[in-house]
Amino acid sequence: MRSPDTSAALRAPFGALLAKEIWQILGGRALWTMLLLLGPLIGYSFVQAVSLYAEASLAASQSPALASSLSPLDGVLVPTFGAFYVAVTLLFPFVAIRVLGHEKETGALQLLIQLPYRTSTLIAAKLAATLAAWVIAAVPVLSALAAWIFVGGHLDAPETLNLLFGHFLFGLLVGALALFAASISESAATAAIVTLAVTIGSWVLDFTVAGRPGFFDWLSRLSLTQALRTFEQGLLSASLVAGILAAVAALAALAAVWLPPGVPTRGKLARSLGCLLAAGVALAIAAQLRASLDVTADRRNSFPAADQRTLRELREPLIVTVHLAPEDPRYVDLRRNVLAKLERTLPNVTLRLAGERQSVLGGSGEESYGVVDYDYGGRLASTRSTSPREVLPLLYGLAGVPLPAPATGEEYPGHPLVANADASLAWFLCGLPLLIIAAWWWSQRPPGSRLTLVQDGDPS
Amino acid sequence: MQHPASIDPMTPVQPETPLLQAMDLTKRYGEERVLDDVRFSVRCAEVLGLIGPNGAGKTTLLEALAALIAVDSGAVLWRGATLAPADRRASIFYLPDGIRPWQEQYVARVLKFFAAVYGRSRAQIAAAVAAVGLGPALRKPVFALSKGYARRLMWALALLCPQPLLLLDEPFDGFDLKQTREMMTVLRRTAAAGRTIVLSTHQLVDAERVCDRFVLLAGGRVRGEGTLDELRARTGIPTGLEDMFLALA
Repeated sequence: MRSPDTSAALRAPFGALLAKEIWQILGGRALWTMLLLLGPLIGYSFVQAVSLYAEASLAASQSPALASSLSPLDGVLVPTFGAFYVAVTLLFPFVAIRVLGHEKETGALQLLIQLPYRTSTLIAAKLAATLAAWVIAAVPVLSALAAWIFVGGHLDAPETLNLLFGHFLFGLLVGALALFAASISESAATAAIVTLAVTIGSWVLDFTVAGRPGFFDWLSRLSLTQALRTFEQGLLSASLVAGILAAVAALAALAAVWLPPGVPTRGKLARSLGCLLAAGVALAIAAQLRASLDVTADRRNSFPAADQRTLRELREPLIVTVHLAPEDPRYVDLRRNVLAKLERTLPNVTLRLAGERQSVLGGSGEESYGVVDYDYGGRLASTRSTSPREVLPLLYGLAGVPLPAPATGEEYPGHPLVANADASLAWFLCGLPLLIIAAWWWSQRPPGSRLTLVQDGDPS
Repeated sequence: MQHPASIDPMTPVQPETPLLQAMDLTKRYGEERVLDDVRFSVRCAEVLGLIGPNGAGKTTLLEALAALIAVDSGAVLWRGATLAPADRRASIFYLPDGIRPWQEQYVARVLKFFAAVYGRSRAQIAAAVAAVGLGPALRKPVFALSKGYARRLMWALALLCPQPLLLLDEPFDGFDLKQTREMMTVLRRTAAAGRTIVLSTHQLVDAERVCDRFVLLAGGRVRGEGTLDELRARTGIPTGLEDMFLALA
C-alpha cells in the first residue's frame, strides 16, 4: 500500500509558473493604467526639475563658487524619481495585489495550489513577476534619464545606480507587502486598503512624528519612505539593504504561510510567529552592520579625503555626548555634518544623547544645553560647534595628531547645465503613451499559431 | 516531467481495493456541523456520485478531500494508509464548480500552462482538446467563453492532470442534453482508462446513467452508500435517485 510520492511531484518547472504570472500581470489593466499615468507624471517632474536646475546653473555661471553645489543627483534625479516613488507608493500595490488577489476572487487559486509547486515557490514566482512589473513601470523614469543625457546633462554612474537600486528595493518592499496583504485578505479591495494603510501611513508618520523624541522617533523609523532617504543622500548602507531584504523575506514568508486555505488558522498563527521571530533576529543583526559606501560624486557624506585617512588611524574609542534635544535643528546639523561621518569613518564611536529627554524650549535654559563633549581615550574637550571645521581640529588635538594638509584638486566641480527639456514632453505625453498602448495591444493578442495548432487536433 | 508511478492513472489496480476512504470527516463552522462523521469509500476506476440537496455538504466534502479546507477531525486513507493533507494533491485533483480560472488569458495559454506543469506533450493537449470539443474556443479569452465552453475548459484541465482520482463539482452544469451525453462518454472513457472519479451533481437522471455507485448526503451526514439497486433495497424506495433525493430533502 503506497502513498503517493509527493517529493517527485513537486518538481514542476518554475519557468512555466513565472510565465503564467507575467502573462497574468500583462493581461490585466492595472499595470498599463499605471504606466499611462506615470508618463505625464514623470515627464512633468523631469521638465520642472531641469528648468529649476537650469535657473540655478545660470546663477552659477556668474558665481563659479556656486557651481560646485550643483549636483544632478539633488537637482534632477531625486525630483524625477520622486514622481516614480509616488506612483509606486499609490499605484504599484494594485498591480502587485492583482497577482494574487485576482486568483483568489475568481477561484483560480483553488487550482493553483493543487499544482505540484511548494507554496513558497508560488510566492517566489509571484514576487518575481511583481519585480518584472516594477521593471516595466521603471521605463518612463529610465527614459527621463536618457532625456537628461540627451539635453547634455551629466550622470554619475555610482550615484545613479545607487538611487535606482534604492527604488528597486522600495518596489520590492511594496510588492512583498502587497502580496502579504493579498494572502490574508478575502478580496483585492481589502488587500489594497491594508497595503495603502501602510504606505500612506508611512507618509503620516513622516509628517507627524518624525523629529520628535523618544517613542515617536522610533516610530518614525518604521516609515517605508525612510528607506529611500539614505539612497537619495547617496549612501549605500549595508544595514539598510540587509534590513529591507529581511523585511521582504519576512513578508514573503508570511504570505506563503497564509496562502494555503487548507491549513488551520492555529497552525498559520504558529508559523507566523516563527517568521516574525526570525525576521526580528535578522533585523537586529542588520541593525548592527555599520558598513556603508558614500557613492556621491561630491563625497557629501564623507570628510575630505585627507581627514578621512587621518581619522581612520584613530584607534581609541571616541565617546560623544550631545546636550541637545533630538528635534533641535543644531542636532540635525551636527548629526549630518559631523556625527554621521564620524560613525562611518572611525572604528569605535559611541554616541550619547544627554538632551534626549529635553525639548528645545525646556532644555535651552540649562547652561550645558548645546554643548557637545568629545571623550577620546579619556581626554576630554567640549564645543558648541556643529561644523567639522571646528570639530575635527579639536579631535586631532585630543588624539595628538597633526592636522592633515588639505589635498588639492579633489574639489567637486559641480555640473551646472543651462538646458531646456520642454521638448521631452512630446515623448512623455505622446510618444511614451503610444508605445505603452502598442505594448498593451501586443500583450492582448491571441497566442501564436504554434499554440493553436491543436485546434484541429493536430498532434504534430 | 516524470510522474511517480503511484499517481500514474494507468497503474493497474484491483477493482475491489478501496482507493480512498473518508474516515469520520467532521467540519464545523461555529456550532454548525457541515460535515458530520462522514465515512465512505471510493473504489478504483469507478465513478462515484455524491448526491444530496443544497446545503448537504457536497462541495465542502470535496474540498475537504482535496485538503482545500481543514477538517476538525477525521482522516483520509489512500489504499489503506493515511494520506496527509499536504500529500493529497499528488493523487487527487479537484475541479471546483463555477470558476473561470485566469480569465484574461486565452484558453490555449491556460492549457499550455497546465501542460507545461505536468509535462504533457502537444499531442496530449490535442487529445484533451479533441475529447471535450474545446477546439473552437482555443483563441478566445476565458472570460469570453460561454458557460458550456468554460466547463469544457475545466474538463480539459482535468484530462491533462495525472492524478488518479478526480473530484468534479457539478461537472455537467452548463451543458445541454447532447453535450451532457458527450461528456458522459468522456467521463466513462476516463474511468475505463483507470482513473477514478467522484462527482457531485444535481442532475440525478444523468447521475444514474453515468455513476457506478452513489453516496447520499444530507445535513452533512452520509445517509446511504452503494449501487442504485443497493440503495433501493436499503431505503425501501423502489424507484430512482429522484425519489431518494426528495426523501432526503
